[in-house]
Amino acid sequence: MKGIFQWFAISALAISVVGCSQPAGSAKANEPAGSTAKELKGDLEVVAFKGGYGLDQYEKAGKEFGEKHPDLKVKVTGDPRVWLQLRPRLVAGTPPDLMFPGWDMDVWALIEEGQLKPLDEALDQPAANGKGTWRESFDPNVLKLGQKDGKTYLLPYYVMTYGWWFDPGVFTKNGWTAPKTYAELLTLCEKIKAKGIAPITYQGQYPYYMIEGMLLPWAASIGGMEAVNDAQNLVPGAWKSDALLKAATMIDELNKKGYLQAGAVGMSHTESQTQFVNGKAAMIPCGSWLPSEMKEVTPPTAKMQFFLPPVVDGGKGDPSTMLIGVEPWMIPNDAKNPEAGIELFRYMTSLPKAKEFVETKNTLMAIKGSDEMKLPEVLVPQSAALKAAKTVWSNQFRSWYKAAEKDIEGALTSMLNGELTPQQFVDRCEAAAEKTRKDSSIPKYKVS
Amino acid sequence: MKRTGFIVGFLAPAVLIYLALVLVPLGQALIFSAYQWRGVSAKRKFVGADNFRELAGDHDFLRSVTNNLWLLVGAGVVIIAVSLVVAHLTAAPGKSAKLLRGFSLVPQMVSLVAVAVLWQFIFNPEGLLNATLRGVGLSSWTRTWLGDSHFALAGVGVAFAWYAVGFYALLFGAGLRNIPAEVNEAAELDGSQGWHRFAQITWPMLWSVKRTAITYLVINVMNTFALVFLMTRGGPDRASDTMLTYLYEQAFVNSKFGYATAVAVGNFAVAMILSLAILFFLRRDPTSSQNRSEA
Repeated sequence: MKGIFQWFAISALAISVVGCSQPAGSAKANEPAGSTAKELKGDLEVVAFKGGYGLDQYEKAGKEFGEKHPDLKVKVTGDPRVWLQLRPRLVAGTPPDLMFPGWDMDVWALIEEGQLKPLDEALDQPAANGKGTWRESFDPNVLKLGQKDGKTYLLPYYVMTYGWWFDPGVFTKNGWTAPKTYAELLTLCEKIKAKGIAPITYQGQYPYYMIEGMLLPWAASIGGMEAVNDAQNLVPGAWKSDALLKAATMIDELNKKGYLQAGAVGMSHTESQTQFVNGKAAMIPCGSWLPSEMKEVTPPTAKMQFFLPPVVDGGKGDPSTMLIGVEPWMIPNDAKNPEAGIELFRYMTSLPKAKEFVETKNTLMAIKGSDEMKLPEVLVPQSAALKAAKTVWSNQFRSWYKAAEKDIEGALTSMLNGELTPQQFVDRCEAAAEKTRKDSSIPKYKVS
Repeated sequence: MKRTGFIVGFLAPAVLIYLALVLVPLGQALIFSAYQWRGVSAKRKFVGADNFRELAGDHDFLRSVTNNLWLLVGAGVVIIAVSLVVAHLTAAPGKSAKLLRGFSLVPQMVSLVAVAVLWQFIFNPEGLLNATLRGVGLSSWTRTWLGDSHFALAGVGVAFAWYAVGFYALLFGAGLRNIPAEVNEAAELDGSQGWHRFAQITWPMLWSVKRTAITYLVINVMNTFALVFLMTRGGPDRASDTMLTYLYEQAFVNSKFGYATAVAVGNFAVAMILSLAILFFLRRDPTSSQNRSEA
């Protein structure tokens, strides 16, 4: 029976991890690396997450880099679930030289376990074009997301922006405009509902979309950055603060008024996003990957445009505040050719290569100036919002405290199912935060 | 002596493979459950029975065990009842019985991923089930099946039963064919028909198949992973979480490999206890001559 095979698959994975867990090669200390003077030779292995943006740009960069360094043999491979393949290799001490392990790798555990090289020395060396340091070529707001105790372990590449989406064609036809405030949102939802369309749909099986698309942006809008920073920093009481409670109450209000699509609580990301692209729902909170993720099923007539989550009138937060995220690249501490890995990534993050990525993949990048070009249409609103943002922040709580995040996500689902009131919801959030605070085995972090 | 060497020679490779691929990892799992280990490096810290102490007080784990047991009882009863009916129908001579036998095995040929996607489509709020209910005027019965904490686990159970019935029908079918013709003939002559014959003759005579089927069912249900992971991801709010989805979460999401291994050991213990209990309760063949003389 396949159930058994499934179990074997997991066991085999665990066994492969266990089996490889004997002496972990050289237990090197976190040596800084990144001298550009050294001649690059030998093998350079790059392993990357094969997500919506594919591998082609990484392969192309690897090939070009290999041509510049004839003594270097560059190999780029990837997989949609690459994090599962990388774990046993990391345990065995035989990781690749440069890796992009994807969204489901516990990168903070890698830092805690000393599996990554600090890259500050390399960052303080010249950028690929020789103008300024490599560090200066990154957006500092984004670069700081990969730092711990003043050291940089994770390097950003593309930047994901979080917000809401609507179809400008549908909105224009109906005389609607994307709501800037929560009050406008309520009015608009009523009009949309009257047309027989669900005003908002959401990825119910993955509640973090709503946490990052509604709960936290609204808490930031109501209580200012202090509200969300305190929550991320596990300050006692922060998860049941007035700002969080009000934000939860807003979600509950939308739900109770029937503005959230009925049944979306049980939908996967693709199911709900399909509802949106097919015009069954007018708006959806989602990250900037939405157009590329839904490319195959989007009807040719449908369009999608990004806008910032509506803000709360009279809130403490700046209305331009923007939530972003990154999926970082890194150099394993046990890499055999770390210098080559660093130099390839320096090349990949050079301005021309970054612009090439923007153009081919329709995403913003963490490299300064990479959006100074004629941007693909879908990127214009995101780029404008990012440029105008006085505060740019990221929800790191989700990758720092995964167990608490899961509790909070579960509680949100229960609130959407009408099983918890907003007050009970924030109480459960606070309890989850408290459990993490008390658990000494979980390393603690602070928003920098 | 020569014969012994011959036997050992042939057995050795299989035993070695079993040892290396089954027993050693099992032993290692036991060892790792005594460690705090993130599973991203070789660094481990010995914590003794701490993981098991944590497990005993872990409400989320206990909930997953309860969910597994509900699946076992709920889906188990449905699977055995339906597969017995199918086995009876396919035991009859004729083309339609053959056709049914073929059809009942179709879900077994489909990958579990496809099964999950299919049932997700059926249970989707805009899906087949709700559309059918609306079509027959039962709109008030429509639900967000997989998003509803009262129905999500049942939804997974239905998909699992649909998938598994063919296999158990095959098992019971073989059991039915093994009942000696003279027994059935004698029953018929004695006027035993329908339910009476099933309860008094068929069901007791299916003893060995029943024992195998139930033990197998226990193992299967305790190993439920893919369907839950794909259909509900254990949600909403852990309403359909099973031991193995919880294990996966602890290992691959929370990077608590040591603790996850303790969950695996817990899962193994639950499956083992249940299997042994079944073997114990069904240890005697009710139709054997010894039993009859005792009775």
